[in-house]
Amino acid sequence: MSTSANQSGGRLGRLTHLGAAVLTGALMIAGAVYAAGPDTSLDRSTDQGVFHVQLNSAVTPIPMSKVHRWTVHLTDAAGRPVNGAELSVDGGMPEHGHGLPTAPRATPAATPGDYVINGVKFSMTGWWELKLKVRAPDGRSDRITFNVVL
Amino acid sequence: MSRRAPLAGAALAALLLAFTTAGAPPTWSEGELKTLKSLWIAQLGAPPADPSNRVADDPAAARLGEALFSDARLSANGKVSCASCHQPDRAFTDARPTGRGIGAGARRTMPVAPAAYSPWQFWDGRADSLWAQALGPVENPVEHGFTRTEVARVVAAHYRGPYESLFGPMPDLSDRRRFPLRASPVGDAAARAAWARMTPADQAAVDRVFADFGKAVAAYERTLKVRPGRFDDYLAGVFGAPGRHASLSPDEAAGLRLFIGKARCATCHNGPLLTNNGFANTGVPARPGAAPDHGRAAGVRQVVDDPFNCKGRYSDAQGEGCDELEFAVVDDPAQVRAYKVPSLRGVRRRAPYMHAGQFATLDQVLDHYSRAPAAPEGVSELRTLDLSADERRQIVAFLRTLDEQPERRP
Repeated sequence: MSTSANQSGGRLGRLTHLGAAVLTGALMIAGAVYAAGPDTSLDRSTDQGVFHVQLNSAVTPIPMSKVHRWTVHLTDAAGRPVNGAELSVDGGMPEHGHGLPTAPRATPAATPGDYVINGVKFSMTGWWELKLKVRAPDGRSDRITFNVVL
Repeated sequence: MSRRAPLAGAALAALLLAFTTAGAPPTWSEGELKTLKSLWIAQLGAPPADPSNRVADDPAAARLGEALFSDARLSANGKVSCASCHQPDRAFTDARPTGRGIGAGARRTMPVAPAAYSPWQFWDGRADSLWAQALGPVENPVEHGFTRTEVARVVAAHYRGPYESLFGPMPDLSDRRRFPLRASPVGDAAARAAWARMTPADQAAVDRVFADFGKAVAAYERTLKVRPGRFDDYLAGVFGAPGRHASLSPDEAAGLRLFIGKARCATCHNGPLLTNNGFANTGVPARPGAAPDHGRAAGVRQVVDDPFNCKGRYSDAQGEGCDELEFAVVDDPAQVRAYKVPSLRGVRRRAPYMHAGQFATLDQVLDHYSRAPAAPEGVSELRTLDLSADERRQIVAFLRTLDEQPERRP
């Protein structure tokens, strides 16, 4: 009886060690995948470094399935606000192959370098892209893709 | 090796066993609890305000709308009312693959109570309010087969008092040369010709009454309640809320875990009504012999052009609060054969399923989502899930907990 119990305990012990090793491995893989996930920073330079964009949802936390507003602060590489730029907004869910559920539009705000994006809506949890194309009055243009994970 | 390791291992194994044993309450991670809370009916609240309908929450309008909803005089053969397909004792649907009024419809009848929470109505979202929705079936030749001048006359003859106290004086429709018996811009050839002979002012007078008819029906529809299921009683216990508490069977709990996890149902079926009110192409097969149906791709064009939309002259919104229409996506290839994501509240009692009743059972629906076949047109958003028969059964078991429970006495 006691021999059998000991053997059983030994097996369980080995299983536990195996389990711990598998768990550690799984956590490491999960960590690596997470680290390789989309950059969700909303304060970044555009693809060619022409502009810097600070993006913010006017509503926090970001609401689900409600039309809401985002704000943009646009500066050039030297940190000077850029006024009078044309901003076009696009996006969608790369993993689902569809675009945004609404067609948001950007308009200038009253303060230097500030813009408002009206009509933003996210209708699902998951990884969304918000893509901005920026064209300054002097002709310089660039683009940037922001990642929003809900 | 420490002598304690086997003991600790045994304890851990026992602990794991305890959590997987039938009868033990399921445990949820912090992330899962957040998702579960978002699905709880306690989060629902009142329907969002409808700025396009100034009588949306007026009890007198709701009383008028309730009477209109079941009035079969509002049909070409005197036999079809809204309630013919939206049957109150069947959660406001019928049990047919596609609706049947004067003739056979092309789409499945939708439940009414959750609609007040949706910015878009119909499977393709071709109306942007409850009241604009209510107008469509009335003039559809296979539904009520009626015309708006006939609607105005029925309202004038049978509902003049309540109508005028809500909406003001009814136009005088007695001159049949000015106001033909059957006239509509969307009716048959004779009705369209009769409409074209009317003056713009007389057309507008009829359109006004027609819109008001829809607004009263909408006011009634907004009073319909989505009732909690056993799922909500379970969540009440999980979140320590007062009231009735319930448990989930191991299969129901496993189904719920799949619903918010591996099966990815809650990606679109989210929020307390288990819908994001969006549109998706999920590769649902076309009904054999059905006319081409492009879903949202066609519906969005219709709503943008609809004179009864939020920005139209019969809307009370005056241009404010029409964000969904203002920022509607038009001309997106992903809208081809995309249909509304329906609420799953009470879904088990609503067979058959999908926008044209293509699937007879929930198991068939889950089999479709698991296999994720290519769409007949456009591109399906689904990815294969490889759900086992057991997993499908568990998800169906969970969906059963969304059955609406009978009204409780206070």
